[in-house]
Amino acid sequence: MAEAVKKYFGIIFTNSILILFSLSCVFPIIWMIYSSLKSSSEFNVSIISLPQKLMFKNYVNAIKVSHMENYFFNSIFNALISLVFVILISFILGYFLSRFRFRGRNLIYTIILFGMLIPIPSLLIPLFIQFKSLGLFDERFTLIIPYVAFGLPFSTFLVESYIKGIPVQIEEAAVIDGSGFIRMLFAIVMPLSVPILTTIAILQFFTKWNEFPFALILVNSENLKTIPLGLLNFSSQYSTDYPLKMAALTLAILPVILIYLLFNKKIIEGMIAGAVKG
Amino acid sequence: MDNKALRPSKALFILLLGPGIAWYVFAVIAPMLGSLRYSFYSFEGVRIKDFAGLANYIELASDTIFWTSLKNNIVITILCVFGQIGIALIFATLLNTFYIKLKNLHRAFIFFPGVLSTIIVGFIWTIMYNSDYGLINFFLRALKLDFLILPWLDDPKYVLLFVSIPVIWQYIGYYMVIILAGMSNISKEVYEMAEIDGVTGMKKLFYITLPLIKNTVMVCLMLCISGNMQIFDHIFIMTGGGPGTSTSVLAMYGYNKTFTQFRIDYGNTISMGILIISFAIILITRRIVAGGKDDG
Repeated sequence: MAEAVKKYFGIIFTNSILILFSLSCVFPIIWMIYSSLKSSSEFNVSIISLPQKLMFKNYVNAIKVSHMENYFFNSIFNALISLVFVILISFILGYFLSRFRFRGRNLIYTIILFGMLIPIPSLLIPLFIQFKSLGLFDERFTLIIPYVAFGLPFSTFLVESYIKGIPVQIEEAAVIDGSGFIRMLFAIVMPLSVPILTTIAILQFFTKWNEFPFALILVNSENLKTIPLGLLNFSSQYSTDYPLKMAALTLAILPVILIYLLFNKKIIEGMIAGAVKG
Repeated sequence: MDNKALRPSKALFILLLGPGIAWYVFAVIAPMLGSLRYSFYSFEGVRIKDFAGLANYIELASDTIFWTSLKNNIVITILCVFGQIGIALIFATLLNTFYIKLKNLHRAFIFFPGVLSTIIVGFIWTIMYNSDYGLINFFLRALKLDFLILPWLDDPKYVLLFVSIPVIWQYIGYYMVIILAGMSNISKEVYEMAEIDGVTGMKKLFYITLPLIKNTVMVCLMLCISGNMQIFDHIFIMTGGGPGTSTSVLAMYGYNKTFTQFRIDYGNTISMGILIISFAIILITRRIVAGGKDDG
């Protein structure tokens, strides 16, 4: 009897610990979201209370004073264009690495693997010098160059191991039936790889949307800045109006929360696959 | 594998692989080689001025802030190895027991901070640490634990710990799901046998799970070390390296030298330092862990 009671309490205890911990992982964000709907004075009276009246005005103000729409456009532009290139290039690279042995294959493999190990901070300043002297600094396409390049290693290895699992007979049959290589690659293998390419697209979108150091160093004009840079401006100007600041932060993570709610299983699986490969 | 029937012509090979490889080399390999070259020169603006030999490296070797920053990186890394991988191991073990409810929900919740941008995490934690409007002090007051309240980000003595906590918080879930994936490869029978033999709780973790997922833990360790040698965003937002140099890390120091003191040549040499030290640390850890593997 005592044994059973002990066990019962043990179960309740461990369950409660996990619940508490899980909540601590999301509560700061929930707090931020509901606080963003309070007035500044209401927040100052009690930081924890729920909003009495929903102040959507904070959002209107946040967008108005920060030009959030501009940062949003730039972040979406950079993320989408980059992920299209990452998918295309990593698909081709991954396919060739997994299907053929050719001269230079080991070299390509090595430099790509190297890209997974190289610490990004060690490249920021040389990249800045290189971009400045070649006139690539602070242009519309500037950030897409490093975003695509640094997205490649992870994605290429994901594609490579995925292609290994596709039976080569399908491609052989296509070639025997007279399909050219390009057609075979894009009309037969690519559709078969859609699951892994979707994973790559989602993960790349996150990384690009969240990216900060390259944007900080390679972009300077107000009209090219991405969301993280915009938040930085905003927060130094309105450091005391917390609800307003939280409204801006909430806007910035809204797309991330939406995508996470829809695809969290796929995101977690992709992250695991990428990590174990590295 | 090589497939003769599929193999495209040489021209097609080059046409398809060329642009991607060129792009990659331009943005990853070229700056790295450039960095090595630049480090032997002095600069004027962003232009190379004179050959400087080893002058930059000599300055680096005797630069106490550089070594303080490295020390801070190492402290943060150690805190994160225990905080992230340690806590992740415990929660993964708990999640793997049959009597835990809502497993998928827990996994999704705990992983969630990992998809947020580092900048957002930095901003939110700055607010959370705020002495008047922060959640941390609010909860401490509510629990009548006022005596625990500290000037979280302003006291050089503890600040390194308090900038590490958001980093740990953000990535526990990431390591947890990797470890869970590793654990799912262990057959249930192993655990059932162990339970019959009376092995339970933490003992199960240390004597059964850990030896069986050694490779997974090794992957986590490598990711954790290389990730924390690069740490920049959180620190940039929360403290900017301060107070003083108490939270200065290598990336932060390189950034400050280049963009606030406009010493590009020296900032670049710091980049080289980061590269060399990171690779050295990764190689050493790999060797140590691989060396210990033989008796497992």
